[in-house]
Amino acid sequence: MSKKLIAKNVNVFYDQTHVIKNVSLEIDANSVAAFIGPSGCGKSTFLRLYNRMNDLIEGFRKEGDVLLDGKDIYRNDMRVEDLRKKVGMVFQKPNPFPKSIYENVIYGLRIRGVNNKNLLDETVERALRQSALWDEVKDNLKKSALALSGGQQQRLCIARAIATEPSVVLMDEPASALDPISSAKIEELIYELKSQYTIIIVTHNMQQAGRVSDTTAFFYLGELVEFDTTKKIFMNPSDTRTQDYITGRFG
Amino acid sequence: MSHLDSEIKNLKSEMLEMFTLVRSQLEKSKVSLIQLDKDLAREVLVNEKRVNGFELKLDRDCENIIALFNPVAIDLRFVLACLKINSNLERIGDIAEGICQFVLNIKLEPEKSLLETSRLVEMFDTSIIILQEVMEAFDKEDTKLARSVFKKDEILDEINLNANQAVSDFIRANTERINQSLYLLSTIRKLERVGDQCKNIAEEIIFYIEAKVLKHKTQAQKQAE
Amino acid sequence: MNKISINRFKDKAFMVFGVFCTFFGLFMLAIFVGDVVLKGVDRISWEFITNLPSRFPEKAGIFTALMGTCWILFLTAIIAIPLGVFAGLYLEEYGKRNRFAAILEINITNLAGIPSIIYGLLGLEIFARVMGLGQSVLTGALTLSLLILPIIIVSTRESVRAVPRSLREASLALGATKWQTIWYQVLPASGGGILTGVILALSRAVGEAAPLIVVGALAYVPFAPSTPLDEFSVLPIQIYNWASRPQQGFVINAAAAIVILLIVTFLMNGIAIYFRNKWQKKIKW
Repeated sequence: MSKKLIAKNVNVFYDQTHVIKNVSLEIDANSVAAFIGPSGCGKSTFLRLYNRMNDLIEGFRKEGDVLLDGKDIYRNDMRVEDLRKKVGMVFQKPNPFPKSIYENVIYGLRIRGVNNKNLLDETVERALRQSALWDEVKDNLKKSALALSGGQQQRLCIARAIATEPSVVLMDEPASALDPISSAKIEELIYELKSQYTIIIVTHNMQQAGRVSDTTAFFYLGELVEFDTTKKIFMNPSDTRTQDYITGRFG
Repeated sequence: MSHLDSEIKNLKSEMLEMFTLVRSQLEKSKVSLIQLDKDLAREVLVNEKRVNGFELKLDRDCENIIALFNPVAIDLRFVLACLKINSNLERIGDIAEGICQFVLNIKLEPEKSLLETSRLVEMFDTSIIILQEVMEAFDKEDTKLARSVFKKDEILDEINLNANQAVSDFIRANTERINQSLYLLSTIRKLERVGDQCKNIAEEIIFYIEAKVLKHKTQAQKQAE
Repeated sequence: MNKISINRFKDKAFMVFGVFCTFFGLFMLAIFVGDVVLKGVDRISWEFITNLPSRFPEKAGIFTALMGTCWILFLTAIIAIPLGVFAGLYLEEYGKRNRFAAILEINITNLAGIPSIIYGLLGLEIFARVMGLGQSVLTGALTLSLLILPIIIVSTRESVRAVPRSLREASLALGATKWQTIWYQVLPASGGGILTGVILALSRAVGEAAPLIVVGALAYVPFAPSTPLDEFSVLPIQIYNWASRPQQGFVINAAAAIVILLIVTFLMNGIAIYFRNKWQKKIKW
């Protein structure tokens, strides 16, 4: 299996603070990788390297390479907007736009000038079906997105992210703001989406990482302590810090 | 189907494979002893490695499910039951191997009269049937079928009890066949243990389906449950 | 009395005081408006609206002043709104957050509090004299634009600031440029607030007299402006002029003119609020 995402000796600074310390990581295509670790360990920051959302933050500085399909995503001629078409993101708190369900899903296409109604309709159906939301909303796509429940809103955000047919989907604690049943639905969804996308999920919930991911990376204080198959990490981690975190003996 | 559901489904079908494998080992051991087919016996010995490897794999799969999915309730009972049934099956596999080891040491085909009086064939058949039924009970989650095993095992106990008499009678009449007779006696002992292992399996099945613990209960208590 | 009773009493007393203040203000306003309306409503007629000013109160009308007000309102709007909204947008979205920016923000707020007559003097010097625009409608409009610009900038910034960051992040994460994010998400979401600020600012402009007097709006203008460079007058000035005359007839005229001015103000506010509500509906919060 080819390595979809490669990070080599990455260091990240916010002004003088060193937040990511010499991390190297390779993620396979069509797999689910989980980033776990205590708060403030850098996992969200590292996740955001892949779609360059950190660029928005003042004082951000990066060293090292981050490659998608073998190409550096921080190179000069890389347009950030093109990168974000290929690398989608779903946030912790569902953040649908205050528009209709339809408008939400096609936003990614609209800003790229796609206006063909048939194409847009097809995209909406495909994306909503893949996010297991189609049956619940197909009768009224003009309804406001904000009228949906929390779990539905998050699935809408997933549909919105995959509408542009990215190859990678980044999820920053996608289920943490949801009730357990919605959370379980999102996990099932991730498991199904794996066959088409490469998914990276940051999570505080270790059981979730166990259920959903193929590989797991444990971050601590900006370092990558251990990265291995989830089975290995959960059965027999190599580093005692990993074991302490997973068994809840931390802090 | 959720991820956990598909893992449990896989585990179940792998367990059934293990059941089938062990049953075929037992059947082959019967044929190889009665017909003194040493080639078949060697086949069983070689296959024993497969049985052991499969046991390790099943153990690992159970561990993975527990580590990764934190199953609860019936899922947890199922996985715990599989762990135990797995080792029961592996012991049955060992028994089949042991019987075939005997076959390699015997020189002459077993005497028909001994086979009849010791009821060895009947013992083989009964134990294979019990194994088959407990496998079906596992597959179909049939606790009634599982419970019927306790009764059938009594036949094995009965044959085992009478075996001493039958074999010692035979030895007095046929002293040149002492070796063979002793091996036959040991085989009967081993088959009785097959019955015990199957009873354990039945207890585990009832545990995982009904959450009732029948271990260490007497026959009467079990019937009452 | 124990602690709880004292607190309960304070609670009730505060409520009573609040009600009193509210009704006091409304009451005073009602008296004033009522008085004016009673005095002036009879004077209002089609001739009153279309007549030019005159020395004779019966013949005097508010046509030129009304036209002047409309012109001023229109020109000020098209100058100040785009300038103010885009300046506010730029400062909020593109501006760096450093010490200079903070000082700038404080100073813009200060500008909103500067007495309007100062703006009049500024406008007189820069627009009327240096730029040679003279005592024209354009000068008046530019001066008033300067006056209300800080109000529009501040309310635009506040509205834009109120748009949650998560909305912007979502838009950017989907590959929108900063401008697309502003156009498709930030502006629609903050539109209501911006419009409110614009309404407030224009209402202020409509009622101004002092800076316009300084800049050269005349009290006696016998014609309505036909180009931006014409001389002009506005309703507040006309009202002031009439109200300071001794003749009773002019006092009544002033009252009538006030009624017209109030109607214009309410009408303007009403239209703006209507559009703001339509906007809010589209957003479906």
